[in-house]
Amino acid sequence: MCCIRAMRLIASALLLLLFLSAPPSYGQGLPQDIPRKELLILENPEGTIKNAGWFNIWAINAGSQSNGLQQVALDTLWYIDPEAGLDGAWDNSLAADKPQYNSDFTEMRVNLRKGIFWSDNVEFTADDVVATVMTQIMHPGMRFSAVMASNVASVEAPDRYTVVFKLKHPNSRFHTNFTVRWGAVWILPKHVFEKVDDPLRFNFNKPISLGAYELHSYDPNGKWYIWQLRRDWDRTTLARFGKPGPKYLAYIDPGPPDKRVILQLNHELDVIHDIAPEGMFALARQSKTTRAWFKGFPYGHPDPTLPAVIFNTQNDLFKNPDVRWALALLIDIKAVVMAAYRGACTISAIGVPPTGAHPETYHQPMEEWLKSFEIDTGKRKIRPYDPTIGKQIADMLRPSMGEQIPSDPKEVARAFGMGWWKPDPQAAQELLEKEGFAKRNGAWTTPDGRLFSIRVMVEGDLRPVMTRAGTMIVQLWKQAGIDAKIDLAQGTLPTRRAAGDFDTLIGWSVETWGGHQDLSYFLDSWHSQFVAEPGKSQPLRNWQRWSSPALDKIIEEIRTVDFDDPRSIELGKEYIKLAVKEMPTIPLMAYTVFTAMDQTYWTGFPTAENPYTNPVPNWGNSRYMFVRLKPAS
Amino acid sequence: MLRIASYEAADCGDPGSFLRHGGALMSGYFAFLLRRLGQFGLVLFIGINVAYVITHASPIDPVEQSISAVTSFGNTAPDAVEQMRSALRELYGLGATPLDQYRLFWSRILRADFGPSLSAFPTPVSTLIGRALPWTAGLLAVSTIIAWGLGNLLGGLAGYYQKSRTLRLMGVVAIGLHPIPYYILALLLLIVFGYLWPVLPIAGGSAMNLPQSLTMEFVASVLQHAILPALSLILIGVGSWFIGMRSLVSNIVTEDYVVYAELAGVRPWRILSSYVMRNAMAPQLTGLAMSLGGIFNGAVITEKVFGYPGLGSLLVDAVYAGDYGLVLGVTTISIVAVSAGVLAIDLLYPLLDPRVKVN
Repeated sequence: MCCIRAMRLIASALLLLLFLSAPPSYGQGLPQDIPRKELLILENPEGTIKNAGWFNIWAINAGSQSNGLQQVALDTLWYIDPEAGLDGAWDNSLAADKPQYNSDFTEMRVNLRKGIFWSDNVEFTADDVVATVMTQIMHPGMRFSAVMASNVASVEAPDRYTVVFKLKHPNSRFHTNFTVRWGAVWILPKHVFEKVDDPLRFNFNKPISLGAYELHSYDPNGKWYIWQLRRDWDRTTLARFGKPGPKYLAYIDPGPPDKRVILQLNHELDVIHDIAPEGMFALARQSKTTRAWFKGFPYGHPDPTLPAVIFNTQNDLFKNPDVRWALALLIDIKAVVMAAYRGACTISAIGVPPTGAHPETYHQPMEEWLKSFEIDTGKRKIRPYDPTIGKQIADMLRPSMGEQIPSDPKEVARAFGMGWWKPDPQAAQELLEKEGFAKRNGAWTTPDGRLFSIRVMVEGDLRPVMTRAGTMIVQLWKQAGIDAKIDLAQGTLPTRRAAGDFDTLIGWSVETWGGHQDLSYFLDSWHSQFVAEPGKSQPLRNWQRWSSPALDKIIEEIRTVDFDDPRSIELGKEYIKLAVKEMPTIPLMAYTVFTAMDQTYWTGFPTAENPYTNPVPNWGNSRYMFVRLKPAS
Repeated sequence: MLRIASYEAADCGDPGSFLRHGGALMSGYFAFLLRRLGQFGLVLFIGINVAYVITHASPIDPVEQSISAVTSFGNTAPDAVEQMRSALRELYGLGATPLDQYRLFWSRILRADFGPSLSAFPTPVSTLIGRALPWTAGLLAVSTIIAWGLGNLLGGLAGYYQKSRTLRLMGVVAIGLHPIPYYILALLLLIVFGYLWPVLPIAGGSAMNLPQSLTMEFVASVLQHAILPALSLILIGVGSWFIGMRSLVSNIVTEDYVVYAELAGVRPWRILSSYVMRNAMAPQLTGLAMSLGGIFNGAVITEKVFGYPGLGSLLVDAVYAGDYGLVLGVTTISIVAVSAGVLAIDLLYPLLDPRVKVN
């Protein structure tokens, strides 16, 4: 029995030693030797980077992008902010002014800023831009090789600060390749890459910065990266807006959502990239210092991305717009937003995200047309649009969320969206019957007598919010007598989406600049010239594989007008009307990102009241946040 | 084949007989060794081939995954994507015939080269595994051995001292913890020691911004960061060893030779250590060997919950990315480790336990 006594003694001593030796508050473990008041800690949503020492962003998919590399170390010609921007949404970054095209858009001239330096004291010049393009073209398999090779006939630098691109075919949107939305073609340092034999196998470690920060240190196991403000930060493009507040930035992998909440409550994670709605609600309840985009409900930042029910229009069942419309009329959007986001999102009936400049440009002007829009069910004409759905969602949430729910109609529309299609099972039935479908013993059958079955593909726990939306839509369709099933794709979704191996999927084929009215960012890829044969791989983003001569005509005209031409807005509205009539996808809501910002150490984060940039920290644009951040008093 | 020998003894009075007998034993052992090594090679060959077939039958296309990752956020023209697709197929070596790919795979395996990772191209798979392996091996080997040692020791004591209240209480705790889903226990530890009473690090393998070198500061940081993940693994792992050992010992203590030893006045600790637990060790050692071999799969949930570096997350990410090179690298190491562990135990049994002899 003496050994049992000895074991008791040893165990007690060990426990005592463990807890006495531990620091009083340890949580995550902050960086050594860096004052907390000089450090901003942000989440890198890429998680753990398996190839941590790889900084060559021009090689495809080899290392991290949003570990701070694209946000603070690299730069390119232009940025478009999804929000208002520090000095307007458009920013001439390395370029001194806007792109200058010739009359037929086969040549683009760029004037560059002077006095911008790489972190190794070499001046940035036109040679870097030329080297960026030529390195990509000469090495197929690099990230931007294909897009450069397919567009650029030649690129020259007539002097140190001018670049002239000659294009293989007219392209009025060529400059968008060098314009940051989330990322873009980043400029590489010629003086580094010209000494490299094979740029595809070069790790670019230690990276030379063109941005305001340079690499301080990183974890070989890919858990964290620390960037330090350059001493010569005033020789970078960001300096136009002032000195960045944080001297150090740490991009970390904080782990699963629960841990992100714990870390922010412990004030050891200043910016959470995204979190489940429930995590956001918990932070809003428990932390006095956490701030999200909206001050109260619905908290999250609506990204210029539009989740939708995407039909595979090459599938016989979904070729007919009446069938697609019938399925839209069976959806109760209020139930979907409650299931997906607990109501914390902004709905959109039209094929443009309700965020940034779009509500003023598209949603509000289209409202009257939407109210008068009619569908012929075969038995009658209906007006399916209900402009009060956004308000209904707000009213539904008010009893539980109280004063957090705005009452001003403009605020309600901004936070929850405007209108959507009112559920109309009777009209849906008429539309289906019009197309030869029949309901027998409560179950719908197709015109050839088979059970009307629909698989709704979702990504599962890789994208839980979309999965919840899909599950609710399946339930609604099942209630109407359709044999709907969830099709859990998990990691196979990109492969199956490209192959067209789905009936419908919950995802997005609409992404926009947000801060600019031009829709070509996604719309150009919807041209029928890019639609693959059934069974062949579909290039992004027309996952619905929808071909429409009317849409082709709109796209072809957009290609001929300037990026800033007001005509592109009119053409954008024509696309919206066509998409409403044809319903190739059922738009649902903006993709809400619950970015949570802790104001314990830093203040001045972008918010809906002060929307100077997108707060989502993996976006290249998030660099603008750093010049507005000030240490908390 | 091994079998438990009957209590037959060599004729110790005749040296010639002993030598003849010993020589026959050695010759039998050598034949057994060769046969067992042959089986080992066959298991490896079949196991690696099965892994090859399964990974290549995956519906996830690494090229599509790469394109999706690149184009998800970028403004890539659709016509450029097709060019990108063909360039990547060539770069990743997917344009070769299946037979050529299979030959290349085996020629590399025989040189311990798993080729480049497709999701971190062109970084070699062996480099990625080499970075993660020490963390996995360190955490899982130590926690497995501690759980094994603690579980067996406590289980042995509990089986022998069946009336001890302390040991019965320990038994209740160990058995009570065992069925708790691992992630619940891990999350509980995380909330208790990371939030309610934040005294231990809850993420990473060492402190941020601390150079990874053999300094006291780094070693102390690694140990401190390993406490919670190791504790979670030990708390869950100790129960099964405890239950197994207690059952074995409970049976052995009723054997005649134990009763005789007690009647002869042999001290209890000696009876427990030399007569009871030693005899109960054989199946536990097999279990330990298999557990140690299995650590090369990594501990995905531990790594995810505690943000601990290791092979598990690497493997899961590789599966999602369709990176067969990396999946095959990790699984091959795991197959080799498990097979080698079982082989080692098989070979050592006759030497560890005199009742076991080669048939």
